[in-house]
Amino acid sequence: MYFAGVDIGSTMTKVVLTDKAGNLLSFIKGPTGAEHRRLANEVMRQALEEARLHIDDISYVVATGYGRLNVPFADRQITELSCHARGVSSLFPGARTAIDIGGQDAKCLRIDNGRLASFVMNDKCAAGTGRFLEVTASALSIRLEDMGDISLKATRRVPISNLCTIFAQQEVVALLSRGEKLENILAGLHDALASRVAALARRLGIEPELVLTGGVAKNIGMVKAMKESLGCEILVPKEPLLTGALGAAILAKETYKKAPAAGEALPTKSRRLEKATFFNQEYR
Amino acid sequence: MSWFMGIDIGSAYSKGVLTGDFKLVASHIIKSGADYRKSAEAIRTELIRKVNVTQKDIANTVATGSGADNVYFASQKASDIVCTARGINNVFPQARTVIDVASQSTKVIRLNEEGIVTNFTASEKCAAGGGRFIEVIANVLRIDLSDFSRLAARSRSPITFSTGCAVFGESEAVTRISEGISKQDIAAGVNKALASNISSLVKKLKLEEPCAVCGGGALNTALVKLIESELNTKLLIPSQPQLITALGAAIIAAASATS
Repeated sequence: MYFAGVDIGSTMTKVVLTDKAGNLLSFIKGPTGAEHRRLANEVMRQALEEARLHIDDISYVVATGYGRLNVPFADRQITELSCHARGVSSLFPGARTAIDIGGQDAKCLRIDNGRLASFVMNDKCAAGTGRFLEVTASALSIRLEDMGDISLKATRRVPISNLCTIFAQQEVVALLSRGEKLENILAGLHDALASRVAALARRLGIEPELVLTGGVAKNIGMVKAMKESLGCEILVPKEPLLTGALGAAILAKETYKKAPAAGEALPTKSRRLEKATFFNQEYR
Repeated sequence: MSWFMGIDIGSAYSKGVLTGDFKLVASHIIKSGADYRKSAEAIRTELIRKVNVTQKDIANTVATGSGADNVYFASQKASDIVCTARGINNVFPQARTVIDVASQSTKVIRLNEEGIVTNFTASEKCAAGGGRFIEVIANVLRIDLSDFSRLAARSRSPITFSTGCAVFGESEAVTRISEGISKQDIAAGVNKALASNISSLVKKLKLEEPCAVCGGGALNTALVKLIESELNTKLLIPSQPQLITALGAAIIAAASATS
């Protein structure tokens, strides 16, 4: 008995496979393309290969993330908020608050008894999301994954005066051309994003333990800036991108086990993995 | 003859005007670039070259705009709000409201018959509130800024952006292009979004007619038409709307030199 969680985010697609005890068998991450379905199939195929499983071995599949409706082989769709809450609390049973900073939004969740209790999110303005770092990194011609490490060398944290990502992009280029050190500018950029996300989190109220997830959590400079901004300890999972997909796999297991007990039939989708196309009306 | 200079260093463009006998005699517009000091110098050099005078002949220079600090040769700085009001009052003395659609933000100013500011408001420091939104999308569509209005005017079904953010709007435009939506429908969608933002800003301050429009955004006639229909008024448009704030600065330069 095996379960799958598929998380289609704006930037990355993630698949997690677990056994009936909830042990992680394999996980695969790939960039989300313009066509979610085709990529979901491909990432799923790789995850199955790594776990030496066949698609028919999977008892139940839950899809989540903003592209969750475009996974043809998923049996059920669950919002990323519920999946994140479940995934985070499975890794950190003491977690009461989770902050997820993705490429297109930032979410703050309160967790109660392993379940989502309340949340606030920003998907309106790029300045409070991972996109802020993506855009400014490209303006400074450095790789996104190097930003955090470089920022740790800062001797001074240059305040970024513009809130808007577009204007900040222009500002950092001007700062650099004025001779400001790259690491000092980067430290300022991390502070700017941290303070925006912290303001969002404070609207919800922060209770320890606090877990940071999403692609931005892989940035060590950002974890440091968030700690300073919030003034509390921050836990980061080993694979911060996977909590949504992990939560989806756990919820798949729970759904599968609960339904027969409640005397309900559990409809499942056909386990076809062939390429779906945009014009396949069945899934529209 | 006494010559007065007004220099307006904006985030996208730097503008300068030279007045003589209270009339505009020369103007110059360049991209601001990364070095505002150099831009300011380049404008001064070009203005005095155009009327064939020397630096000493300029009786007074006033600087304005977000980069005003870089105009080291100016005798004073003035707020862009005050300069825009003075400039528009010079061109349209009847105007009681002026909308300045600049790259960095949109400002709405109420003014009296003497060109004195009575009230004003500005869009948030967000690229979607000003002309920058147009610059960003024009860049994605690979069209020249000067073609934007003409292209947008040809649209029959403008798209509706699902986001109020210029960065997310940029991604949305890319998605729409990949879906086969035409450039003109996307351009018209940007104008529609911007016109609605600008109109609500005007309504917040309360519109007092007649109303003028200036700044680089006023060159976008498709945008101006949309604002006109949202506000249900005819807007006064100067022939060189980008120069109004610099003109106001030159007028202030003349006024403070004679007083």
